[in-house]
Amino acid sequence: MSSSREKILAAARANKPAETPLPTVPDFGGDASVERFMAVLSSIGGRVVWVADPAQLGPVVQQLFPDARRTASNLFPATVGVHAQTPTSGLAEVDLAVLPGEIGVAENGAVWLPEANMLHRALPTVTQHLVLVLDHRHIVATMHQAYARLPNTGGYGAFVAGPSKTADIEQSLVIGAHGARSLVLVLY
Amino acid sequence: MRVALFIPCYVDQFYPQVGIASLQLLQKLGVRAHFPAQQTCCGQPLANSGCERDALPIYRHFVDTFQGYDYVVAPSGSCVYHVRKHFDKLEQTAEVQHVRAATYDLIDFITQILGVTELPGRFPHKVGLHLSCHGQRGLHQANESELTPVRDGQLRRLLASLEGIELTELDRNDECCGFGGTFCVSEEAISARMGQDRVQDHLRNGTTILTGGDMSCLMHLQGIVRRRQLPMQVLHAVEILNGEVVT
Amino acid sequence: MSHSLRAATFVADADRTTWHDETLWFVRQKRDKAVYAVPEFQELRELASQIKEHTLGRLDEYLKQFEAEARRNGVHVHWAADAAEHNDIILDIIRRHNDTRVVKSKSMLTEECHLNPHLLGHGIEVIDTDLGERIIQLREEAPSHLVLPAIHLKKEDVGATFHQHLGTEKGNHDPQQLTEAARQHLRAKFLAAEVAISGVNFAVAETGGVVICTNEGNADLGVNLARVHIASMGIEKLIPRLSDLGVFTRLLARSATGQPVTTYTSHYTKPADGRELHVVIVDNGRTQQLGRPDFRASLKCIRCGACMNTCPVYRRSGGHSYDFTVPGPIGAILSPNIDLKKHSSLPFASTLCGSCTDVCPVKIDIHTQLYKWRQVLAEAGEIPIAKKWSLRFMGRFLASPKAFGLGGKLARTGLRLLPHQLTHAQALNPWAVARELPEPPKQSFREWYARAVKQ
Repeated sequence: MSSSREKILAAARANKPAETPLPTVPDFGGDASVERFMAVLSSIGGRVVWVADPAQLGPVVQQLFPDARRTASNLFPATVGVHAQTPTSGLAEVDLAVLPGEIGVAENGAVWLPEANMLHRALPTVTQHLVLVLDHRHIVATMHQAYARLPNTGGYGAFVAGPSKTADIEQSLVIGAHGARSLVLVLY
Repeated sequence: MRVALFIPCYVDQFYPQVGIASLQLLQKLGVRAHFPAQQTCCGQPLANSGCERDALPIYRHFVDTFQGYDYVVAPSGSCVYHVRKHFDKLEQTAEVQHVRAATYDLIDFITQILGVTELPGRFPHKVGLHLSCHGQRGLHQANESELTPVRDGQLRRLLASLEGIELTELDRNDECCGFGGTFCVSEEAISARMGQDRVQDHLRNGTTILTGGDMSCLMHLQGIVRRRQLPMQVLHAVEILNGEVVT
Repeated sequence: MSHSLRAATFVADADRTTWHDETLWFVRQKRDKAVYAVPEFQELRELASQIKEHTLGRLDEYLKQFEAEARRNGVHVHWAADAAEHNDIILDIIRRHNDTRVVKSKSMLTEECHLNPHLLGHGIEVIDTDLGERIIQLREEAPSHLVLPAIHLKKEDVGATFHQHLGTEKGNHDPQQLTEAARQHLRAKFLAAEVAISGVNFAVAETGGVVICTNEGNADLGVNLARVHIASMGIEKLIPRLSDLGVFTRLLARSATGQPVTTYTSHYTKPADGRELHVVIVDNGRTQQLGRPDFRASLKCIRCGACMNTCPVYRRSGGHSYDFTVPGPIGAILSPNIDLKKHSSLPFASTLCGSCTDVCPVKIDIHTQLYKWRQVLAEAGEIPIAKKWSLRFMGRFLASPKAFGLGGKLARTGLRLLPHQLTHAQALNPWAVARELPEPPKQSFREWYARAVKQ
């Protein structure tokens, strides 16, 4: 234990204000409709595709990304095997990752993607394109509801809302900064 | 109801017509306001510059001057805000508490205490309303764009009640004009630029009469209008509400 | 040098000032639109403020809880009392891994601690991977905004910088193409780095995890490819519960850029198998600020930058005019805690219009704190002497009705009789540089009243 630790804790203890209660955060309700989720996700650069049956995923992905040569997925037989120990050089070659999402958030188009669904932690951002697959019954209205549904955040997990983007040059929106250049959400 | 008129120092010296219009408008509404001659200032110029301690004698003088009245009315939201918010530095005697609570901006006094929400009169001009930050955000005299898109406020409603008036819709409804007390000289370059931008917004959207509830902002904006010789006249809102004839 | 001098230099370029002002106002408008669309937004601000207030009131306990949970998760926790210790800890970790190529995602704390020069001085290549940060790193400039570090630059500036450093075509200033060039350039850096440094947006006491929010995905890409992740966090980043993130993630991006949420909201709780996660908990003046009752609420800040976008002074003076890691209104209340003398002009770089307070997602009373810092500065003798004495004189004058009446009359008469050239001499009277003085009337209101109203 460092002395800085003791110093910081002692100063925090000495200087902190009187304790106030921790508020209870209400569930504000809200619109959890598929329509809202789709509209918001589209507005932030994502693309939503409906499939009637998750078994059609392979052909649908093939149709969406006919040029993708190196595809990684845990949902259908893919062309590249990616796992937790895949070296960086292998990850860097992935064109497309197709991964299952757990929860969709209607207010902001975000999808919860836990580590267990990622094959490798870096895959969702190192891949050139990302497809997330979500059961439409797993859409909630707000972030409050999304967090309420999470048993825990595992070792790593992310809410992913649309493709990687930036507006650092004169506030001009550019899709495809460092992470996935595009995000397609396949809803079933 | 014993009502005192507090006329801010710079209004007293440079804009006596604003004080006169305040007195006359109150009279029309049935209130005979008294002007205690020993009044000076609310102390804000010092306090905003960091010299709150040196302002305490001014605060005390203010309280001594006005403690005998039911209401203290001033045609300046900024001074009123200062009295209400920053006189907390005085010992909170009954007199101090009374004066803090009894000090009202003229428009608030007319609408809240007298319950007057429209005024007779005709003013067929394109009028741009400059909301003072202390009145709007400090005294909550008007909606804030940070919180809601709805543009509303007591002064806006009073002005809108005049026959023939047309209120300008600005690109930035409630941006600060850049006066800011001693800021206007200590940060002269930014202050001037803010004022110029504010005036341009009015000019672009057709304002011919620029008005507001705080003469300090208006003094600054008028200084720019006159320097640039722009086709715009600057009046305190009470001059309009009191039936000022524009030539 | 004072803020007003640096600001005057910035505003002297009128067209660029117009552009800077309008660009940031556009961000403010996007923020407004996003805020109006959430009916409970004002309630969320209040909740966020209360959660932070509560956390500050138990800060030592939450720090200990966070540390215990993080250690249980296999995270290495370090404590740094100041910037020097923070930098030493990080250098030490990098050296232990024999790495010389480090990538870093956006972290205002590492800016505050001047980590980059420290690492570079010890032979470590540290590459900022946020696009805006990379741009200013190549130009050897400081960020001018919390969220938009290169907002002071035009695309032509970026084009020239990229032409020089990344070999893009001369004269090409298309944001899309420049971003693509940066993507290619930084990919190589991401793939090569063994150590990745990040900031922290939120640290959750009950889980021992940290949360990082980005739009570009640069934090995730960097730290998930590297073998070692070092996360730098100020002690004020703590929140008690995972569910509190519901409140803060709803506020942060909406306030910052008007987005409903950042593209990536990433939760790091345990290191991946065979990898390391280090969290460096930093004080660097924060516990001192915690001990100032008037100013401790500044520690609630979640670094959204909304106060900058709305500030009419910031928009027209640029972030560099503040000469502090965190510019704008929030910087003006954080900086005097660090160096009262150096930053003495910042609390005066405001009209106290209060818009900053109204946009703040955690309801920090920013403009009230600016007012209070002014009092502290004047008491400490950190305002110009001439100003102090003239104000003191003014105080005497304004407390005396007799002197006031006489003085006012003198000033008014002087103004009327003296030539315009003299009363409006720009060297003597800053008011008159761009403004006319009011036309002095013959009589004051009190003179009129004394005659007109016979009591």
